[in-house]
Amino acid sequence: MADSIKDKIKYGLLKGIDVSGFKVLDPPVRLAFGEEPRKQVGDIAKYMILPILFVLACLGIWTVMGPNHKTKSGEVPTPAKVWTAYEDNARFDERQQEKAADFIVEGAEREAVLTATTEELARLEAEAATLAEASDAVAATAKEETEALLAPLRARLDALKAEHEAAEDRREAEMNALAAEIVAGQAQPSALVDLVRENEILEDEANDAEDVIETQIKDILSDPPAEVKAAQMAANRVADEVQHYKKRIDILTKENRNVKEAEYLAKAEEDRAQLVAAEDPKKAVREAKSIARNAERAEDSKTQTYPRTATIFWQTKRSLATVFVGFGLAAALAIPLGIMCGLNRIFMACLTPIISIFRPVSPVVWLLIFQIIIGAFFPDPEKHPLFVTLNDEKWFGWIGNPLAFLQTNPAMIFSACTVAMCALWPALVNTALGVSSIDKDHMNVAKVLRLGFWSRLFKIIIPSSLPLVFAGLRISLGVGWMVLIAAEALSSSDGLGKFVWDEYQNGSSQSFANIILACFVVGIIGFFLDRIMIFLQRLVSFDDGSATA
Amino acid sequence: MSLQVYEPMPGKLSSRFVEIYSLVKEYPNPYGDDFRVVEHFNLNIRQGEFISLIGHSGCGKSTVLTMLAGLNEISDGGIIVGNREISGPGPDRSVVFQSPCLMPWLTAFGNVMLGVKSVYPHADKATRKQIVEHSLSVVGLADSMKKYPRELSGGMQQRVGIARAIALQPKVLLLDEPFGRLDSLTRMELQDVILDILAKEKLTAMIVTHDVDEAVFMADRCVMMSNGPKATCSEILEIDFPRPRDREEVFNDPTFFHYREHLLAFLEQRSHIKGETRTYNGNNFIGYLDKNQIADLSQRVHVA
Repeated sequence: MADSIKDKIKYGLLKGIDVSGFKVLDPPVRLAFGEEPRKQVGDIAKYMILPILFVLACLGIWTVMGPNHKTKSGEVPTPAKVWTAYEDNARFDERQQEKAADFIVEGAEREAVLTATTEELARLEAEAATLAEASDAVAATAKEETEALLAPLRARLDALKAEHEAAEDRREAEMNALAAEIVAGQAQPSALVDLVRENEILEDEANDAEDVIETQIKDILSDPPAEVKAAQMAANRVADEVQHYKKRIDILTKENRNVKEAEYLAKAEEDRAQLVAAEDPKKAVREAKSIARNAERAEDSKTQTYPRTATIFWQTKRSLATVFVGFGLAAALAIPLGIMCGLNRIFMACLTPIISIFRPVSPVVWLLIFQIIIGAFFPDPEKHPLFVTLNDEKWFGWIGNPLAFLQTNPAMIFSACTVAMCALWPALVNTALGVSSIDKDHMNVAKVLRLGFWSRLFKIIIPSSLPLVFAGLRISLGVGWMVLIAAEALSSSDGLGKFVWDEYQNGSSQSFANIILACFVVGIIGFFLDRIMIFLQRLVSFDDGSATA
Repeated sequence: MSLQVYEPMPGKLSSRFVEIYSLVKEYPNPYGDDFRVVEHFNLNIRQGEFISLIGHSGCGKSTVLTMLAGLNEISDGGIIVGNREISGPGPDRSVVFQSPCLMPWLTAFGNVMLGVKSVYPHADKATRKQIVEHSLSVVGLADSMKKYPRELSGGMQQRVGIARAIALQPKVLLLDEPFGRLDSLTRMELQDVILDILAKEKLTAMIVTHDVDEAVFMADRCVMMSNGPKATCSEILEIDFPRPRDREEVFNDPTFFHYREHLLAFLEQRSHIKGETRTYNGNNFIGYLDKNQIADLSQRVHVA
């Protein structure tokens, strides 16, 4: 009995691995259940350990080669730097969320958060002071060491300079003497020209010699020792944290929407008292206006949220939302059209020229076309009912609007349309192929059973073409994801593409690492999207025994 | 659309339930005359009769059967089933194909239900379910209704194919080499299943087969087709074993060997000879197919 349960778990796991397409995990599972350990260990070595070693080797080559290539944006970041960039981005996102939470927290909870934050700030400030001191101390020691290192160089440079100057003076004197001789007619004029030339060459040589030493000094100065850098970075990080906590306290005490609301209400109350006590009619009107204004402000601040900054995580979510909107559009168009193409040769003949001409068109061209077309629908996007509704926080009443965080705008719509336009074709062509290549025997069965058009379509044609349809959709999603990143970069539609573009444009010391980080994020998400499609494809294909899964 | 109606011949209705007259199948040939596969094939089938169609591979046996099923266009001549000329597939004729042709995404139950739904559009759910369950239990699959085709053996898949055909409650059952891909044990089992069903339901049936034993054991008349192109019904052998037939008894009967020898001799020697159809009772030649029958048929045909 126990054996059969164990077997069930084992085959359940293996089936899951098979359906999800992670064939690599097959040997470890079999090994865990004690099936042919020798073979499984061999398979693990061949198909897991070797690939991992290969990837590690690639990372190693990257680590070694990267810093050797100096670019305008600094040297090529190593994997470690990219990881640091990821951590920085994560911290940035976390801080934004903390601030957003601080902005809306109310009542006793706000007091509690404020106390905790203040305590933490005090602790951090102390730590920052210690670290700054330590950093200074390290820097001071390092400076001494550097000085010790520099002193002989400087002495040599000074000596060299003095020597060169002396030599130059001597040559100057020589030249003057020769010139005097020429004037006196005692020497050839060409001898002076030779001397000047020789003088120039010697001067250049002297300068070069000085430059070598100067560069050495500069290098030492510009490249402080690692421990100084580390101490500085530690101090900076805590100083940064201190800044963040100061800002948090600022938000908690001043900008918090409930604090603001209370403030406005208090003002309104004050005005009311003054209105009651007013003797001058003009003043009464002024006070009444002030009451109305403050009441309105109080009402407004109730629903305010902290202005969101585009972190890489938010950009990722937005890209995903955009790609699914575009992919959905593509599928909604491609599947019905593909089925019609597969069913009807005339329809196929009509669509063929359109498919052939528009399929090779670059996404960039589509982007520009959609930008113009979609732009015309939304002359004033801020006030357009579509975006007002989609971005309204209170759309679903107390639950709130789960889509509000996307901040939908026309740029997102035309990026999605571009994705749809480019992702349309593989799905369309594959669906048409799936429908037209349906087994003739199945159609004969349908004839004998006298199935009508609709039951023929839904009972026979669509089920039998589903595997190919999903194969097409899988290609479509991959194409869509690639196109989207380019479209976002070009159109400044928020998303990973824009993140990359912004990083490229602003050119801070972290930018290069951030771009490579974005490259990995895009790649990993693309990988998982593909896996999802493989999973769906396996679910609908009936040949491999997973139709019931 | 004009419908051709044939007046029934009084008293002879059941003797000519299916009439195939001057049946021709041509395929267009862009480089010359059209390619005739079947030419002037004539055959009358009594109601409840079992015909086996035998001949060399590619001679056009299946073409005749698919034309009768309505899956293949008739180039010339015609087929009358129950006083109506056929013009396509109909619920009165159902087919068991050589490969089971089951929909892999449907269970055995779903596969049989597929046709039931369209043939009985007005029946309620419970009735349909009953029909499907009955058909599946008739072929011995009462316990495997919820299984998918890939979970069934070849023989079981073909059983589902048979159940799907009989669930339509047809008047004519057409079997297109239904056991061609099965091992001999399964083949025998399914032959018995078919014979049982035919006996119970009083169906008219036609089987296309390569297997001489099968042709003799199952049929009332064995139609031998000459070699193609321009294949036609060359000889007809009447087989008068009593029904229900017991396999052992039939196979031990000396006449069985006569029939068998006759069929083999035909396949080996006479199948290439073109001529008029001869009819044999046992091994005795009893005459050519009556030409008047054809003339008679054409007289009775008029457009309604």
